[in-house]
Amino acid sequence: MLRNYLKIAVRNLLKNKGFSFINIIGLSVGMASAILIFLWIQHEMSYDQFHEKKDRIYEAWNKDFFSGKLQCWNTTPKIFARTVEREFPEVEMATRVNWPSKYLFSVGEKRISITGNIVDSNFLDVFTFPLLKGDPNKVLQDVYSIVLTEKTAKSLFGDEDAMGKMIRINDKDNFTVTGILKDIPNNTRFKFDYLLPWAYLRKQGNDDDNWGNNSTRNYVLLKPNATLASIAPKLKPLKRKFDESEKTNEMFLYPISRWRLYSSFVNGVEDGGLIDFVKMFAVIAVFILLIACINFMNLSTARSEKRAKEVGIRKVVGANKTSLIGQFLGESILLAFFAGLVAVLLVQLSLPAFGQLTDKKLFIDYTNPYLWLSFIGFILFTGVIAGSYPAFYLSAFKPVKVLKGTFLQSDKVVTPRKVLVVLQFTFAIILIICTAIVKEQIQHARDRDLGYNKNNLVFHYLTGDLEKNYPLVKNELLNANIATSVSKTSAPITQGWSDTWGIEWKGKSPDDKTDFDRYAEDEDLGKTVGLQFVKGRDFDLKQYPTDSTGMILNESSVKIMGFKDPIGEIVKDNGREWHVVGVIKDFILQSPYHPTKPMVIEGAKAWFNVMHIKLNEKNNTADNLKRAESIFKKYNPQYPFEYQFVDEDYAAKFKAEQRTGTLAGLFAGLTIFISCLGLFGLAAYMAETRIKEIGVRKVLGASVTSIATLLSKDFVGLVIIAFLLASPVAWWLMHNWLENYPYRVTIEWWIFAFAAGISILIALVTVSYHSIKAATANPVKSLRTE
Amino acid sequence: MIRLEKIYKWHNTGNNRVFILKDINLTIQEGEFVSIMGPSGSGKTTLLNIIGMLDEPSEGRYDFMEQDVYRIREKQRSDLYKQNIGFVFQAYHLIDELTVYENIETPLLYQNIKTSERQAIVADMLDRFNIVGKKDLFPVQLSGGQQQLVGIARALVAKPRLLLADEPTGNLNSKQGEEIMEIFRKINREDGVTIIQVTHSEKNAAYGQRIIHLLDGRIEK
Repeated sequence: MLRNYLKIAVRNLLKNKGFSFINIIGLSVGMASAILIFLWIQHEMSYDQFHEKKDRIYEAWNKDFFSGKLQCWNTTPKIFARTVEREFPEVEMATRVNWPSKYLFSVGEKRISITGNIVDSNFLDVFTFPLLKGDPNKVLQDVYSIVLTEKTAKSLFGDEDAMGKMIRINDKDNFTVTGILKDIPNNTRFKFDYLLPWAYLRKQGNDDDNWGNNSTRNYVLLKPNATLASIAPKLKPLKRKFDESEKTNEMFLYPISRWRLYSSFVNGVEDGGLIDFVKMFAVIAVFILLIACINFMNLSTARSEKRAKEVGIRKVVGANKTSLIGQFLGESILLAFFAGLVAVLLVQLSLPAFGQLTDKKLFIDYTNPYLWLSFIGFILFTGVIAGSYPAFYLSAFKPVKVLKGTFLQSDKVVTPRKVLVVLQFTFAIILIICTAIVKEQIQHARDRDLGYNKNNLVFHYLTGDLEKNYPLVKNELLNANIATSVSKTSAPITQGWSDTWGIEWKGKSPDDKTDFDRYAEDEDLGKTVGLQFVKGRDFDLKQYPTDSTGMILNESSVKIMGFKDPIGEIVKDNGREWHVVGVIKDFILQSPYHPTKPMVIEGAKAWFNVMHIKLNEKNNTADNLKRAESIFKKYNPQYPFEYQFVDEDYAAKFKAEQRTGTLAGLFAGLTIFISCLGLFGLAAYMAETRIKEIGVRKVLGASVTSIATLLSKDFVGLVIIAFLLASPVAWWLMHNWLENYPYRVTIEWWIFAFAAGISILIALVTVSYHSIKAATANPVKSLRTE
Repeated sequence: MIRLEKIYKWHNTGNNRVFILKDINLTIQEGEFVSIMGPSGSGKTTLLNIIGMLDEPSEGRYDFMEQDVYRIREKQRSDLYKQNIGFVFQAYHLIDELTVYENIETPLLYQNIKTSERQAIVADMLDRFNIVGKKDLFPVQLSGGQQQLVGIARALVAKPRLLLADEPTGNLNSKQGEEIMEIFRKINREDGVTIIQVTHSEKNAAYGQRIIHLLDGRIEK
């Protein structure tokens, strides 16, 4: 019986090659898309799930009121770790992970900048990063010990054994390699190429016991029998206990399972986060698969006339409904199986590109039995979904009618199929509109006035001797006409590194906790990046040496501080008094999607990390950079010349949105492709069933155009219905998405018009092949077939 | 074997009731060979389909082998049908995607007969109808007469006690038609299979022991 079905199925596939091709390709593209998305989702869900003690690991967070709103953030004081270990019996241990630091590593002649973390020595007890060599309890004990990843060890020492070898860091201290880690996986929040002991940070004088300095990340490992509920109420007031200036602060522990996908808080409550994306893409995956299944249903039922005779005969010779349903479901599962094979091939081929698009290393683990199980499940599911409608539809035929040939009731047959086509196009049009709006929003933010000029502007971190030799470097750059202006700053102009609610000024209300962006420059920043001064002037140390404690405010700050005439006002920050010398227009320091924040720019007495260089536009950029490099080499010989273009750094701010746009566009394209395959098949069927009608019309004098129009009209109608359904859904979705961006586009009507136009055009082109073919056919032939 | 009582069949078109069969009363004994004749539209095929349980009357009672067909359960009726009735059509109605062998085998698949047994039965059939050499051909590769032979072989493969034939020779030339009729006669006489055939041809009708004339849905005489 099964063999008989299998034969029929295979012979049917071979006999109708065109249909089979459309079916298999449509289904496999749909499956491949769904598999890719599920791989991505699975990857996202697996973040930091490999730690053996994951059920007991938490991150320490703060919660506090700012301007009436509850804010949550995950940087905590350095002293937190030892304090909770001492105070709470529930805590097995706590470990700190400081910000990634880029250090210059030298081994013999080799000099490489490498990024890693300074961590507490118990870091490897809490998190599961297996050591290939070294004793986990000892590797980070000594101040001058270092643990490398396998990759780092290889790049520094080649094939030699790195254990016990010496590395000089920042030309200052010598470290001994005490452990080699297996390379850290892709799916963790930690990204480091080496680990250094916290003792080294203390040795450098960077450790502090200040409860007011939220300067690092603290992770807590609870004891196996301890519960979060028992420790949470005790932890809440911890900061207030040690720091009297804290009035409303609450501390809490955030479980590892929620780090990656949630950890977005609105008013103190978890709200969305990456999980929204994951859910959205899961929905998209299911829909694309569904659309591919709908194709299958449409094409199979379209062919039902052909299969009807077979159904009739089988019933006459004794088949019952159940065995026929079994047969047709079997066929669709077989087809889904073929499609599944093609899909795996497609996934394998597109995985590198998709990985690049999503910025992930995705792969299929073929050795995983669950993967195979779920793959089989996936095929069965797809096969059953795709085959169910045709199976029930076909098996319900009455043999008497079918065999008499009076079975064609095209109106009745077509209706559910029309519904399915409308469904497909609704989804496609939603995706088209969403893609267009996402692209609009990106463009909108790109077109936003930055408040400075990012062209020909590069920045370089003050590595090694640069801090010391800065005046010399600046002078040479200017004298050699490489740069037109140079300025030293606390952070790159595209990045906010520091903010504070501790700024004080005359007339500040005591419960004002306005958060200011804090920035610093020595002088000439205005000229270097092109800031617009509305009042006063930029710092000028030669003419006004007191500018080293000067301050520049942006207009938002002036508004908040309520100064009538800000020039000369005194503002306190970090225990120092700064006098205001100028006011600038707001510029975008961080997100181009958010309103600019109030900002203070402090003078030369502040901290500096970066230099900005406005390259001379008269020279060729490459030439400028080449000559700049020789100057940097001269004054900072130990470190590589690693400049960055400000415009490139700025462009990176659009990466996430661009990815959303590209993915939405990609899936819109795929959906349209699959839908069109179905439409093409359906048009073929329509033309076939109406062949007699067309013949009669032509004999009566209808022109080719009028017939082609007649045949295409129906489909365009369907697309218009789909558009009417899709528009409000798309509007609602995009309206919600745009809510995330305070600086956003308004949704314009023309986007909808564009989507309608393009989908109708695509549908018309798809259908026209068969319409025109049918319309130009010789009526004598078609009428004779009756 | 067959007893039809007061069988009516009608369609409603608008307010009019169009009768296809009117007050059919008919008894056919096991082993009979009956021909049904009548002009187009007289209800021959409908009558045959009702007897063959492919169609149902609007009114009336039908006993098949002492069982009231419309009062037994669907499953029982289906079994009754499967085990006792074979159909032969004017247009042969073979499955195009299956070979001669597979076409003949199909009814056995629905009766859960073991593979080895099935092979024996089908081989026997092929042998009996002299089509062993054609077993791997597809229907389109056969002549009309040969296709009808396959059709008959398929109808008989499950050893039915009743063979229903709807103008089995309608698409064939007279020589082929005669051959088919000879086969029918042989099956009827040698195997005791009851045969009811619908036909236009007087000559073919004469093969039957009894001829029923239908006109406008009624049995004449």
